Amino acid sequence: MRPPPALPRLRAMGHDTTLTADSTPRLSGDLAVWFFILAELLAFGVFFAAYAFARMRHRELFDAGQALLDRNTGALNTILLLSGSALVVRAVQGNQRGEGRRSARWMLGAMACGLLFVGLKASEYAAAFAAGISLSSSLFHMFYLSLTFFHFMHVILGLVVLAVLWQGLRQDRYRQDANPLESGAAYWHMVDLVWLILFPLVYVIH
Amino acid sequence: MSGTFTKSMARNIFYGGTAFFFLLFLALTFDTNQALPKRDNSANLTPQVIAGKKIWETRNCIGCHTLLGEGAYFAPELGNVYVRRGPDFIKAWIQAQPTGTPGRRQMPQFHLTDEELDNIVAFLKYTSEINTANWPPNIEG
Amino acid sequence: MQYKSQAVAKPYFVAAIGLFVGQIVFGLIMGLQYVVGDFLFPALPFNVARMVHTNLLIVWLLFGFMGAAYYMVPEESETELYSPKLALAMFWVFLVAGALTIVGYLFVPYATLAQMTGNDILATMGREFLEQPLLTKIGIVVVALVFLFNISMTMLKGRKTAISMVLLLGLWGLAIFFLFSFYNPHNLVKDKYYWWWVVHLWVEGVWELILGALLAFVLIKVTGVDREVIEKWLYVIITLTLVTGIIGTGHHYYWIGAPEYWQWWGSVFSALEPIPFFAMTIFAFNMVNRRRREHPNKAATLWALGTGVMAFLGAGVWGFLHTLAPVNYYTHGSQITAAHGHMAFYGAYVMVVLTLISYAMPILRGRAANSPKAQVLEMWSFWLMTIAMVFITLFLTAAGILQVWLQRISDTPLGFMATQDQVSLFYWMREAAGVMFMIGLVVYIVSFFVKGDKVAEA
Repeated sequence: MRPPPALPRLRAMGHDTTLTADSTPRLSGDLAVWFFILAELLAFGVFFAAYAFARMRHRELFDAGQALLDRNTGALNTILLLSGSALVVRAVQGNQRGEGRRSARWMLGAMACGLLFVGLKASEYAAAFAAGISLSSSLFHMFYLSLTFFHFMHVILGLVVLAVLWQGLRQDRYRQDANPLESGAAYWHMVDLVWLILFPLVYVIH
Repeated sequence: MSGTFTKSMARNIFYGGTAFFFLLFLALTFDTNQALPKRDNSANLTPQVIAGKKIWETRNCIGCHTLLGEGAYFAPELGNVYVRRGPDFIKAWIQAQPTGTPGRRQMPQFHLTDEELDNIVAFLKYTSEINTANWPPNIEG
Repeated sequence: MQYKSQAVAKPYFVAAIGLFVGQIVFGLIMGLQYVVGDFLFPALPFNVARMVHTNLLIVWLLFGFMGAAYYMVPEESETELYSPKLALAMFWVFLVAGALTIVGYLFVPYATLAQMTGNDILATMGREFLEQPLLTKIGIVVVALVFLFNISMTMLKGRKTAISMVLLLGLWGLAIFFLFSFYNPHNLVKDKYYWWWVVHLWVEGVWELILGALLAFVLIKVTGVDREVIEKWLYVIITLTLVTGIIGTGHHYYWIGAPEYWQWWGSVFSALEPIPFFAMTIFAFNMVNRRRREHPNKAATLWALGTGVMAFLGAGVWGFLHTLAPVNYYTHGSQITAAHGHMAFYGAYVMVVLTLISYAMPILRGRAANSPKAQVLEMWSFWLMTIAMVFITLFLTAAGILQVWLQRISDTPLGFMATQDQVSLFYWMREAAGVMFMIGLVVYIVSFFVKGDKVAEA
């Protein structure tokens, strides 16, 4: 997720103990988290493909359902998640400069973005449930609720991860070993990335 | 490309991921329980049906037959047998077992009373009215 | 043998193999009843034979798992077992309870057995794989709890490795999800829904943790690869297993009256279920290729690699074949299900237990490995049983495809029994493959009694 220019500086900071040759690109975060991220992306990917398949066969139903969704809140949510990701990047970079404790506030900002997302989404669900929408009410609503709720739970899990990282930063625990921080950040970016596909797919494209 | 791969991270992801997906499963189960009454024909769960289910269980019918596709695959599907054969045929069939035809699969004689036969038929009727998303594909089960 | 108390594993393994033989005998009887319908009727109706066949499978695998735990946990924890006496006592309780149950199945009409054993107090019997009388079910819980207590106490006082943690988690999960066998609501849909919490969450959930732990243990021993490496891959693989497998339960909820969204949730997640099995295969081969020592027990290595491949084929590939809802609509409850069930159980659980027995049994008998002669025989049994199982699976799959076509897809669908007559050739071929499997099993047992030069002292 990090742009390539960040790499030389990182190496100069000497945070990477496993680096063998200077020219070797380094994977940010733990390999284990990347396996998990790939599995999650695969699950979302298959679910998106299923959505596309179902939509192909029920065009009108999907268009009608989509027209009733609140795109403005969705857009706001997109901005929130993007901001959250940017703040996480700031926190990781701050830690690389050796300013772990100070960058905890960036992490707190990212968590605020995530919490706002959760709040907005919860009110969207409340409205949907009040309108009698459920997983069984139509195929479109099934996909709308399944995909967004699956993602919603990821945001909550991501928030738990960010909270742990925030604690760690406050105690400056990632000065020597940034691996947990980078791994958690990668996971959060994944949650963000999925929304960037989910939002246009379910809310916008018709 | 080089990278870090630690056991503690793998372990944390295992515990976190498992808890996450189990919670998701519980959430879906909760929704399923909310949605079931519309599909599971539980409105017709009379004492007779309940008694019939017990006969179904204590004669180990599932050891040969399938019910909604689950069970052994030795004898016909019975989830829709009420529709396929009707109540009278089912009772007569159970009473006529075993056929004793050489080389053919045999169903035991269970010596059910008339009341028990009515109960099992009631259970099979109830089962046939569960909304199974149009399964089986045709009447043959 | 590093710890004296590991010896309690031995009777568990012996019992497991003994019950395995019983399972296959009843399998052969059922296979014959598929084509000669009145074979042994009315002395042994099909439903009784099937109950014995499947229950013996479960019980002998449990014996295998428990034996494996008693062998592995002292070695992993680097301490003697908390109570070897308790372990032996539970062995006899479990064996006697199991034997009584089987005798009950065979000689008492099922309805009478139900009446005699308190089914009227709490009706739990008569559901596939959970046919055990209430008393047996309670017995299983008691044995499991005492066993878990013994194992957990051992671990608490010793070293806590990832392998033993994963094993223990799997075993606790096994006991906890079995509790759903006591829940039998009148509502058939709920009955079926939670029935899968035992069956699916066992075989595609917590049992896979046990499978992973056993395989990882044997791989460390026979390859000498660093524990750190093996354990982190173990975590990655079981994460993938549960990520896909828990929601994958949904592939059983398509046609039993549960909401229809399960067709999507179940299809999406179970489509990913082959991935962890594939990862496990790659993992096993990789570790063996990177081995740092040549362990004298070649047979155990063969079983370990075989587990990887056959679990992937049986659970992964054959599971995927019919897991997507549009396909399953036609194949649900057909011989294709039976084909998958056979190869998945053999490839994943039978083979992993045999892997561990193959590794541990020579050590329990005072040598690092069996003589080359005995090992060659054991490897013959590996190939005979495994190839036989491949054939059983292929024939049942052929029968299943034909069955689905004739009975469910064709414009003029045949009735169930008419269809069965049409596919009987495949049932005969399956029975022949079953005989081959039995021969493999006999060879396997003979391999225990072959003497020859000892390879090395333990």
